[in-house]
Amino acid sequence: MRNKFFAIIAVLLVATFVMAACVPAATTTPEPVATEEVQPPAAEPTKAEAPAATEVPAPADEWADVDPSGQQILFWHQHTKDREAALLEIVDEFNTTNEWGITVTAEYQGSYGDIFTKMLPILNTPDVPDLVVAYQNQAATYQLTEGLLDLNSLVNSPKWGISEEDQMDFFPGFWAQDVFPNFDNARLALPPNRSMEVMYYNSDWLKELGYDAPPATPEEFKEMACKASTTPFSKATVEGSIGYELSVDASRFASWTFAFGGDVYDYEGNAFTYNSDAGVAAMTFLKDLFDSGCARQVTEAYGDQTDFGNGSLLFTVGSSSGLPFYAQAASEGANFAWSVAAIPHTTTEPVMNVYGASVSVPRTTPERELAAFLFLKYYTSADVQAKWAKVSQYFPVRASVADKMADYFASDPAYKTAFDMLAYSHFEPPVPGYDFVRDEIEATMAAIVDGGDVVSLLDAVNIKANEILADQLAQIK
Amino acid sequence: MAPTFKVTSIAKKRKAFSLRALQENLTGYAFVAPAVIIILIFGLFPIVYSLYMSLFNWRIRKGDFTGLINYTKIFGDWGGFAIFMGGLGLLGLAYWLWTRASKSNSNPMRALQIGAAVVLIVAGTIMSMGWGKMVAAGDEDFLNSLIITIFYAVGTVPLQLAIGMVFAYLLYQKIRGKEAFRMIYFLPYVTPVVTTAVVFRTIFSSRETSLANIILSWFNAGPLKWLFEPRAMSEVFLGLKLEGIAAGPSLALGTIILFGIWSFFGYNTVIFLAGLGGIPKELYEAAEIDGANGWNAFKNVTIPLLSPVSFYLFLVSFIGTFKAFNHLYVMATPNAQNTVVTASVQIFDVFYAQNNFGYAASQSIVLFLIILGLTVAQNKILGERVFYG
Repeated sequence: MRNKFFAIIAVLLVATFVMAACVPAATTTPEPVATEEVQPPAAEPTKAEAPAATEVPAPADEWADVDPSGQQILFWHQHTKDREAALLEIVDEFNTTNEWGITVTAEYQGSYGDIFTKMLPILNTPDVPDLVVAYQNQAATYQLTEGLLDLNSLVNSPKWGISEEDQMDFFPGFWAQDVFPNFDNARLALPPNRSMEVMYYNSDWLKELGYDAPPATPEEFKEMACKASTTPFSKATVEGSIGYELSVDASRFASWTFAFGGDVYDYEGNAFTYNSDAGVAAMTFLKDLFDSGCARQVTEAYGDQTDFGNGSLLFTVGSSSGLPFYAQAASEGANFAWSVAAIPHTTTEPVMNVYGASVSVPRTTPERELAAFLFLKYYTSADVQAKWAKVSQYFPVRASVADKMADYFASDPAYKTAFDMLAYSHFEPPVPGYDFVRDEIEATMAAIVDGGDVVSLLDAVNIKANEILADQLAQIK
Repeated sequence: MAPTFKVTSIAKKRKAFSLRALQENLTGYAFVAPAVIIILIFGLFPIVYSLYMSLFNWRIRKGDFTGLINYTKIFGDWGGFAIFMGGLGLLGLAYWLWTRASKSNSNPMRALQIGAAVVLIVAGTIMSMGWGKMVAAGDEDFLNSLIITIFYAVGTVPLQLAIGMVFAYLLYQKIRGKEAFRMIYFLPYVTPVVTTAVVFRTIFSSRETSLANIILSWFNAGPLKWLFEPRAMSEVFLGLKLEGIAAGPSLALGTIILFGIWSFFGYNTVIFLAGLGGIPKELYEAAEIDGANGWNAFKNVTIPLLSPVSFYLFLVSFIGTFKAFNHLYVMATPNAQNTVVTASVQIFDVFYAQNNFGYAASQSIVLFLIILGLTVAQNKILGERVFYG
């Protein structure tokens, strides 16, 4: 028996090595990056440019004979609290007013990351929802399996589509953001909202420090931040003070790099450029702030929001979608005047990092796909956008919505200030695998603020990021 | 003709017997069938399917059959792998020699013991060489995650077992409110791990005002970065500048180990308590008559008679630490770099962040085989020492 056992093991081992020898050896040569270029995102979305995405109309309306009547549509989203309540209201209105008897059910499915991890294993199966929120890089990952519907034919459908006039109403940059050159210019989503990275500042404290306006350049930012670190705010509810708190995050990296006149992606060479001069300058600047004792790292979830609210933090950079939460923290904390401004920049005009998840339509049946699109069309219509923007405090994606929000702008000047900066928007790259790259960037930023060498760390992470990109793009068939 | 008749008769008898046996066994098979089906579907099928996936270039969708290429990517160099396994084999030989030598005090056996020690050193050197070759040519991230997993297991299991046993022994004494203590100790185990991990993350944040650093300040000690510290504990506390495996776990991992111990010692306490209940009181009385004090009774009665329970807990805890995920994922900070990325977290990242399903499956199979191998080794080494009364 024992001998038999050892004989079996021996045979298995031999078979293992034979199989190992039969397969091609692992190659260490990086896989080639797909040659098709990712187009740079359109800047200055408020300028009246013709949207690039829908220039080529569909030759025939393949959707003309599809009947969406009576379809049950499932929508996976990440919204909670007031935003979820507002979304459910919008869904209810659609359900009761749409002429086709379509019923949409909106389900909270966790954070963006949770939804992403839930989606991956069920793509191209009957378990997919009909609508799903997705960042551009997540949508690109889904499309590696051709799991999403290219909405171009629906958007341009004479019977069901969005009119040319309405298409022009979308901010061009936002409208173009969901078109993916890597996938033959497929439109993989429609944008219902956007946010922007802004600098939050305590204006009362700035006045106490002797400044009338927020910093416009990195030098001014450092001067004010360092002064605040040694001069606590008079209304602070806790001891201690600091000028700036940095949360290590790839969007923060991108925002500061944009502000230093660079980009994290070369759209012509189709490669990440984390080690660009601007990237190095931005990280060197932040490291200097840490070394000078004028900045520290955010160590707890939303810790910067808490510190900002209790008056111990002068500046922080974060998403404009956090406006209501900062307002609450400030009013319930040290109760001071605050606002938002552009991230201090070396460029002549600010460059603002605008982002936001869009809504994609996973492949199901033509009837369900059409029904899902009809809800999406409703969700992005001007009136619904105005309602959605006011409750969610996201930015609307259509220019005409601004006219419907005059009262809201008056009641929330910080929101208006941020809205006006949409003219300077720029975007992070919409490439598959960006989630993984983000993790690498976070670790690198942490190493930099912990005292690491900026140039060598950025060189190393740039190589890794491009390896990840090459690996992901190699999957496109 | 007679022999023919005999054969036919025996055949008939056998047939009748086997039919009867089948009928009798059928009921038994029917009873075990649901369990077998459940185990096959939810236990064995995922393992077999993972093995199947691991043989393909399976990204978000299934790609080409690639044989063992995913495994080659892990180990990099099959020669290095073979050397490492050879070292492991020598380790086994050293153990065998040592145990043989331990059974006798004669001089030849002493020589055998020395021989075992030599083989042990050679085995260690060979394993180290093989490991170096694998790390150089293979998947450094995954191989390092295995080392971190071992650090985590070795740091967590012995301490949580020891503390669990001591607390169980104390609770077994005649003390007031022991039910309340029992419940309090068990609470960390039943509290959702994600919640407690988030609380721990706040307690052990790198802020000077974090609870852990405030406590340190009471003892005039400077603040530590805890979960944000990628440096090894040997460097943070002892100032040693060691490299690689020799440096040991980072302070960030040490903090997570602390969480692991806190989280699971209560469970061990309860199981040890059940084990203590099974030790006959007469043995303690006999020990007392023989003049044994409390420590002697604990050492010579409690520990040996608890060895089946200890063995069970050791195996389960060890396997658990290799599979641990939730709290490690929650407590990991970017500042800790890759010093807290255990194998299960690494596999998760490869699966979801890199969406490389086939490769993640191959890593899972490797982890599964390591757990299986360690369990068999523990069963062999420790199982022989278990005292069943």
